Amino acid sequence: MLLAQALVNGILLGGLYACIAVGFSLIWGVMNLINLAHGSFVLLGAYVTAMLNQAFGLDPFLTIPFSGGVLFVLGYVIQRGLVNLVIARSVFTTLIFTFGLNMLLVNLLLLAFTADLRGITVSYAGIVWQLGGVRIPSTRVAVFLAALLLTALLSLFTNRTRLGAAIKATSFDVDAARLVGIDVDHIYAATFAIGAAMAGAAGSLIAVNLPFSPVVGDFYTMKAFVVVVLGGLGSIPGVLVGGMVLGITDNIASVVLDPGYRDAVSFTLLVLVLVLSPRGLFGKRFYAEIKA
Amino acid sequence: MLRSRPERRTAIGQLAAGGLFAATVGGAFVLDGYWLRTLTEVFLIASIAQSINIIAGFTGYAAFGQVVFFGLGNYAAAIAMTTLGAPFLAGAALGSVVCAGFAMVCGVPLFRLKGHYFAIATLGLNEAVKAVVNNWSGLTRGGAGISLPLPPGNVIGNAQAFYGAFLTLMWTSIAVVWLLGRTRFGYACRAIRADEDAAAATGVNPLFYKTGAWMLSAVLAGWAGSLYAYWQSYIEPSVVFNMDVSIEGFVVLLLGGAGSVFGPIVAAFVFQIVSTLAWGQLLIFHLGLMGILIMLTVLLLPQRSTWAERRGVVVAGLMFAGRLVRARP
Repeated sequence: MLLAQALVNGILLGGLYACIAVGFSLIWGVMNLINLAHGSFVLLGAYVTAMLNQAFGLDPFLTIPFSGGVLFVLGYVIQRGLVNLVIARSVFTTLIFTFGLNMLLVNLLLLAFTADLRGITVSYAGIVWQLGGVRIPSTRVAVFLAALLLTALLSLFTNRTRLGAAIKATSFDVDAARLVGIDVDHIYAATFAIGAAMAGAAGSLIAVNLPFSPVVGDFYTMKAFVVVVLGGLGSIPGVLVGGMVLGITDNIASVVLDPGYRDAVSFTLLVLVLVLSPRGLFGKRFYAEIKA
Repeated sequence: MLRSRPERRTAIGQLAAGGLFAATVGGAFVLDGYWLRTLTEVFLIASIAQSINIIAGFTGYAAFGQVVFFGLGNYAAAIAMTTLGAPFLAGAALGSVVCAGFAMVCGVPLFRLKGHYFAIATLGLNEAVKAVVNNWSGLTRGGAGISLPLPPGNVIGNAQAFYGAFLTLMWTSIAVVWLLGRTRFGYACRAIRADEDAAAATGVNPLFYKTGAWMLSAVLAGWAGSLYAYWQSYIEPSVVFNMDVSIEGFVVLLLGGAGSVFGPIVAAFVFQIVSTLAWGQLLIFHLGLMGILIMLTVLLLPQRSTWAERRGVVVAGLMFAGRLVRARP
């Protein structure tokens, strides 16, 4: 029964993980850029939600357009003004750059919101369904469904719109994209903005389920890493499966071993998947090929 | 007879290296406690940077989680000295064996990866080891950390001893990198960085050299860790497996230039002084300032610049540091 509960919790958490990771995956897949500030973007979204909830009593789920919007603009500006300048450099240069960006964002969040743990309790948080001895909290289900919906929207966007097609074209071959008249700088900034907006939206969902503070961002960046590596780059279904696998392993490891070993298990899983199948479970060719 | 220009530059370089060596050694006898401590930290960062230089600079593999060896060196020395009651040198030797062995065992599978994937795998490795150390309370005492036996002797004598120990480590790591630039082993590593397939085609076994380079760099980072544990006399997982250690090493390497002997020393000095003073003066914005400086370092430095091109930036950093030193209350 404990395992069944862990499985259900894992699936519900997995949806949230997938939503956090999908923006990270987009940015990595299109620009070959690993954004170490992703976790801070997520938290920024959570704080936008917390502020709107506090000031206007707005339901967290209704704040998603705002958290997404704020992060979209911020993401566009950061990519256009800063990251585009170093995007063509070596692996560790861009990693260090986004690490520095993350330090700055964490400090700004600390200054603005202090280090206190925050959380939002919605009026329907007490509703919990029982299913054969397994407890299913309604907020977790709502977050799970919202996460799936957001991920599906992103999938529709990249597959059905002109901008989505341009982003894909740029990711396949930058030079060819330039030849057909695509403004690569703009596409990169738009991609980063969409990735950041997805992070912000995921942050709103986190605010409903979990406590947060400015220093927990790295935790979510790491989760995004593992999910993307598990699922493989360039595949949105892959991210969903990766999120589920990580959510389930996290919860099962907490039950079978000890909650403290949860991270050890998920990072061992990360290294194993990288070594055994670097392209992940669903990774596609052409998305940030496995080369330096 | 007049010497040609490159020869003269080499001669000047050797003279300057000798002068710097003498100055750093002499410093142990004239500096006060504050500067002994600050420079000891400078030597620590410079050693980590050279350790990263071997794997990232020579073979081109960005081992972002290199701090894992620093942490393992810390814990090997601490466990040897407390649980086993061994002397420090035995603990540090154990640290070397652990680090080299760990690099070898992990290197064989991880070197199938390249670029970002390798960088992330090393990051994951560090997080996994950190989590295990945090939870294996029987061996590591978990999050409570380990207190080491205090070194015998008086305070200033110990400060001088650790200054000397880290100084030796730094010059050793510089010598290793210098030698690497002139030996068959180093050439093989560079060939791998330039084009791994071509290197393999000419008879260089990439896996052998990559793993060997990583073991060498792991041992240096491990020694830095063991010394750090004895110096601090208290360690905990969140400090010694902190990614900031790797980042500082990479930034110093970036700032100082991978091929240079002086660059990383001067860069480590600038970085440490700015960091220390920023702590003192801008407590609430320390992290943000370091973030901005890291981004500026990346933005301002040309990708494959020589020491001559970097000099301006480093000199500006030194002047900035100097102003902060004078402003120190």
